Amino acid sequence: MSGLRAPGTTVMEAQRVTVQDVETAAGRLQGHARETPVLTCGTLDELAGRRLYFKCENLQKSGSFKFRGAYNAISKLVSSTNQKPPPVVTHSSGNHACALALAAHQLDVTAHVVMPRNAPQCKKETVRGYGGKVYECTPTEQARVETMERIAAEEGAVYLSSSQHPDIIAGQGTMGLELLRQVPDLDAVITCVGGGGMLAGVSTVMKSLNPHVRVYGAEPEQANDAATSLAKGERCPLPYYPDTIADGLRINMGPVAWPYIRDNVDDIITVTEEEIKNAMTLIWQRMKLVVEPSGVVGVAAALSDSFKAREETAKHVAVILSGGNLDLLKLPDLLSMSEHV
Amino acid sequence: MASAGKSYCISFQNIQAALSTVKPFVKKTPVMTCSHLNRLANRNLFFKCENLQKTGSFKFRGACNAVSKVVASNQDGPDRELSVVTHSSGNHAQAVSLAAQVQGVTAHIVMPSNSPAVKKEAVKSYGGLIVECEPTEQSRVDTADQVAEKTGATMVHPNQSPEVMAGQGTMVFEILEQVERVDAIVVPVGGGGMLSGISVAAKELCPHAKIYAAEPKNADDCAVSMARGERTPLPAPPVTMCDALKTSIGPRTWPIIRDHVDDVITVTEEEIKAAMRLVWERMKLVIEPSSAVGVAAVMTDKFRKLPANAHQNVVVILCGGNVDLEHLPWMSQN
Repeated sequence: MSGLRAPGTTVMEAQRVTVQDVETAAGRLQGHARETPVLTCGTLDELAGRRLYFKCENLQKSGSFKFRGAYNAISKLVSSTNQKPPPVVTHSSGNHACALALAAHQLDVTAHVVMPRNAPQCKKETVRGYGGKVYECTPTEQARVETMERIAAEEGAVYLSSSQHPDIIAGQGTMGLELLRQVPDLDAVITCVGGGGMLAGVSTVMKSLNPHVRVYGAEPEQANDAATSLAKGERCPLPYYPDTIADGLRINMGPVAWPYIRDNVDDIITVTEEEIKNAMTLIWQRMKLVVEPSGVVGVAAALSDSFKAREETAKHVAVILSGGNLDLLKLPDLLSMSEHV
Repeated sequence: MASAGKSYCISFQNIQAALSTVKPFVKKTPVMTCSHLNRLANRNLFFKCENLQKTGSFKFRGACNAVSKVVASNQDGPDRELSVVTHSSGNHAQAVSLAAQVQGVTAHIVMPSNSPAVKKEAVKSYGGLIVECEPTEQSRVDTADQVAEKTGATMVHPNQSPEVMAGQGTMVFEILEQVERVDAIVVPVGGGGMLSGISVAAKELCPHAKIYAAEPKNADDCAVSMARGERTPLPAPPVTMCDALKTSIGPRTWPIIRDHVDDVITVTEEEIKAAMRLVWERMKLVIEPSSAVGVAAVMTDKFRKLPANAHQNVVVILCGGNVDLEHLPWMSQN
């Protein structure tokens, strides 16, 4: 953490998010983002062999934790100028799109959202419902980026990445601050990892304020770039777009989030599609919560043999349920046929 | 609206006592809000999330209170196996099973032989012993009586038992700690156990708050009874997606409802389905159709026309979340 740059690091590391940035973010979010509840469930405790504390970000504004980062970033943008703030732009088919649109609406900023043509209709409608302007494009990474860059230039809009912007990472880190207040004697935290913004932010908080708390990422086996990267000590993005029901976690862990994860995370647990479906059934059936598949990957990790082997004595483990935005009509395909109790 | 000096089968003191009895066992469930639903209803809505209660419904409160009474009344008695019996295939069955299990009591659950497997599994998972009966009202009652006779088990009626009614009323204490000013409480009604318990508690703790019952139009015995001033049970088993609200209000719950409830709002099956989907999608909570009845009620024209200043802060009870995830009302095969 000194000023020296290790080989392989980039200049972006100089803008490393600190716990002070997260605390400032918490101040901006107060009264706007929810301090979501932490819920427990006896049945899941039995299955896990310890007390699990579920941070319910499915109950967050716009239906996922992404609202935190989006609101922090836009709020900072607004207060950084006396002029009318610029519009913001992003490309996303998922929760970041909805979060950005809602946060922008609340801060009276225009949001331009580039969404692939095949993005779920409900997400496009949600973004429009929040006042965001939707631009559809062909469903390729290249088209998304090109369209986004064109809109940014045309509209003078600021690009806000879903996970690689420091203000986004700082916003996501606020969950760590809340967890330290809400869960006494916290031993470990598990968060799912896609781009890595949440894991970067939360792990920064833990290692700064309470270093004895172990921090784990949770990832689908079929999209295990973060796990592979951590094992190898260098970022290993997947060269293809992986298939998993945890659609929010298909993207690779990004270059900005990687150094945080490399330095702060104890391990990344990977889980099978079946384990994810089993976790879905448990959460919907036992906890009566609407959580999307990406959102239960942390639960699957907590129940996995590899986590149990790693953390034999941990008594209090927090798991972040990252979001609850999904098409209800697709639910039958996302549950396991019988509960593996 | 209550007549002075009238005595009901439960008193406020019963509910107060029930609170300390059930406290070690039940969850103090959260109250949640949703800006989107507030905009739709044009009110401040406060949802008491009893779908998050142990066993997935508020019924656990009443069951705990009833089972505790059995344990307490045997305190100085011989050291024998205590048991309770009930006839129910739904939320009450699960609630009684777990309430008994945690207090070291045996629970005999009389269920129709054609009950869905998922309901039988749920009861078994909480330690309930299933006794099957024919799928008729008569057989349920007779079988329960036989079990009581054979085992000495105490009967715990799903909604007419005073201990059950008092247990359900305990949620009012929590609500008043969680919501600053309660103008109205909207309560789904089946047999009336929850509505009665809440009414008696609210009368004492927040007497200015209006009490509204919410009921499926297809099972509107409470609405009809209130209109006629006389208890009028449904003439035939109702057809509604609200499994838990098919019972008619009973002789013990009726007088309390008659004297305390300001009005009954009935809703159609379509309104219930829409409200259920709204809560799942916007609040990310799994609620069963019976829970959606209260939500549907506050969206009706009838409720909207109520004077705004007297109905700003409205508490809606989300009474349960036990659904068969493979057979949801909006899936096309239904």
